[in-house]
Amino acid sequence: MATLNGSAQPRIDTRVRIGSARLKNPLVAASGCYNRGAEFARVVDPAAYGAIVLKSITAQPRLGNAMPRVAPTPAGMLNAIGLQGPGIEYFLTHEAPALASAPTAIIASVAGFSVAEFAAVAARMDGLPNVVAIELDVSCPNVDREGECFAADPDSTAAVVAAVKERVSLPVIAKLTPNVADIKPIALAAQSAGADAVSLINAVRGMAVDVTAARPVLANVSGGLSGPAIRPIAVNAVWEAAKVLRIPIIGMGGIETGRDALEFLMAGATAVAIGTANFRDPLVPLRVLRDIEKEAERRKLSTVAALTGLAHPSFATKTGTR
Amino acid sequence: MPAHQQSLEDATLVSREFIAPGFWHLGLRSPHIAGRAGAAQYVAVDIPGDFAVRLPLGIWTADGDTLSLLFREWGTRTERLARLPVGTTLSLLGPLGNRFTTPTSAKGATIVAGGLGIVPFWLLAKEYQRAGIALEVIVGARSKDLLVGVDTLRELGITIATCTDDGSDGTQGNVIDLLRARPKPDLIYGCGPPAMLRALCSFANERHVPCQISMEETFGCSLGTCWGCVVPVRRGCDQATGYPRAPADSRAYDLARVCIDGTVFQAADVLWQR
Ligand SMILES: Cc1cc2nc3c(=O)[nH]c(=O)nc-3n(C[C@H](O)[C@H](O)[C@H](O)COP(=O)(O)OP(=O)(O)OC[C@H]3O[C@@H](n4cnc5c(N)ncnc54)[C@H](O)[C@@H]3O)c2cc1C
Ligand SMILES: Cc1cc2nc3c(=O)[nH]c(=O)nc-3n(C[C@H](O)[C@H](O)[C@H](O)COP(=O)(O)O)c2cc1C
Ligand code: FES
Repeated sequence: MATLNGSAQPRIDTRVRIGSARLKNPLVAASGCYNRGAEFARVVDPAAYGAIVLKSITAQPRLGNAMPRVAPTPAGMLNAIGLQGPGIEYFLTHEAPALASAPTAIIASVAGFSVAEFAAVAARMDGLPNVVAIELDVSCPNVDREGECFAADPDSTAAVVAAVKERVSLPVIAKLTPNVADIKPIALAAQSAGADAVSLINAVRGMAVDVTAARPVLANVSGGLSGPAIRPIAVNAVWEAAKVLRIPIIGMGGIETGRDALEFLMAGATAVAIGTANFRDPLVPLRVLRDIEKEAERRKLSTVAALTGLAHPSFATKTGTR
Repeated sequence: MPAHQQSLEDATLVSREFIAPGFWHLGLRSPHIAGRAGAAQYVAVDIPGDFAVRLPLGIWTADGDTLSLLFREWGTRTERLARLPVGTTLSLLGPLGNRFTTPTSAKGATIVAGGLGIVPFWLLAKEYQRAGIALEVIVGARSKDLLVGVDTLRELGITIATCTDDGSDGTQGNVIDLLRARPKPDLIYGCGPPAMLRALCSFANERHVPCQISMEETFGCSLGTCWGCVVPVRRGCDQATGYPRAPADSRAYDLARVCIDGTVFQAADVLWQR
């Protein structure tokens, strides 16, 4: 891709690989924050993203949690949407056909409440138009029963990944929760079970109290914290996972600028996802990509992929992927 | 479905007026948004500072290339907004949401507003004036100091009846009491706190009076993508289109997003309990 002709600027190769999927750039719209991009298309071309991750789909339709289910917090927001969605049947008949005209590559996201459910829903996502990978939301922090968070336990994580891998041919991404003491064994379990990549991190469990009404702000009491407030937690999770993984990491959590994205890339992420920042600035993917490219150029790198792990001792070569 | 014609615009803060303790009126030069603003539409304001999501505020007045906001200091973002100096550049997204609709045949209408629920009605009043249709306005609040914007609306030459819970302005009582004491309206528009809107919807539904209300919920994205702002609505109603229904699903209601499917809903479509 890098072309040098005359006085023209050298073009940086922005492509990255997530398993067998190739994204035109390392920016991904995070699950639950972008629908299929249509709402944003009025102010920005969603094709700015290398891929859009769809809202997690469950086997059954779900209404989600009671209201209020979002709350702005310092440098972030809490959400307890509770996986509202139409369920896989409706999704396949009414929404999936439109994916044929998706503005960019699509990563389908699956959430479930049993290993069998994950496998069954994921299997039906395999082969949909423009879907290049399947992300498993094994970490949604909103489901009210503690036992339902697979990503808190290495064995449960591995069981979900293995069951899905058996049923699908697309690359499988395990999306992990930061709400654990040590992310490494869980990330390793996902890798050993055949995951092609991991997404780090899902929202961080948190809550807010309305002191006027003297009750929790969210009807669900707790929710997932996203936005800049969680960025240091997320960067550390990527850093820790990068110590033990050989599969690519999609880093996310509070990315608003190119500099933020570079933190994740240099800590070991191959791609980065942007969620909440789209709400504040729909133009965020354009800014972030431009600034990542500038940084690669400044460092005389011909690819964005070469930024991965620049700050991390596990990336011995200091250029490029492992 | 509403036409979603909107802009991301860098607006300039051109005026800043203290209304009453905690209440502010800001003027913003924002030609693209001001020029297209309709009654009950809002802007999502990117407040400078460590805020992750935009602040939704209703468009109060819109005249030429300038729009204005009328708001209260609720919490961190509105407090910050109230302290920005004139000349500040602010990123606005808007106009967002659908609009109140005005009837084509010239029957009068009644506006019922509670507190800051007056915000969508300056633009609606202008529309009615342009159409030459009669309008009566009832505004209520807990007390006189919470009755803001009434004078600005009166300046349009509109007759306004006020009421307060404590009798410090207008009739003592609430807006529904005032409504009950009058002849049955042909059409009602409402905006205000949830309890008031709920009572207004019962009033209108019981009497089969068409009634449009502008609702409010806590917003995340203001764009229709986070599903944080949903309300239960009658299945199959216009605004329910935002939420896909599963074929085998026997629920008697649908969810609609206040931010993009609303904020205006028909009283007959809003289900207050789920
Ligand atoms: C479509 C739409 C239009 C709006 N238009 C206006 C407007 O024109 N003028 C205006 O003043 N506000 C308006 N609001 C309300 C305003 O957006 C919210 O109050 C917002 O939460 C304020 O943000 P904040 O960061 O200042 O306070 P936050 O930090 O979000 O809230 C601070 C505290 O105030 C309480 N609180 C917040 N909002 C309300 C409320 N509406 N009623 C009672 N308690 C509340 C919360 O419980 C919280 O504890 C509108 C909201 C929507 C969705
Ligand atoms: C409103 C909202 C809904 C979300 N829904 C999902 C979801 O359905 N599945 C999922 O895997 N992650 C979901 N997430 C988490 C995000 O994809 C992302 O991991 C997290 O918000 C951190 O990134 P950010 O700080 O850039 O938003 C959601 C986040 C938000 C804010
Ligand atoms: S505020 Fe996000 S969908 Fe309405």
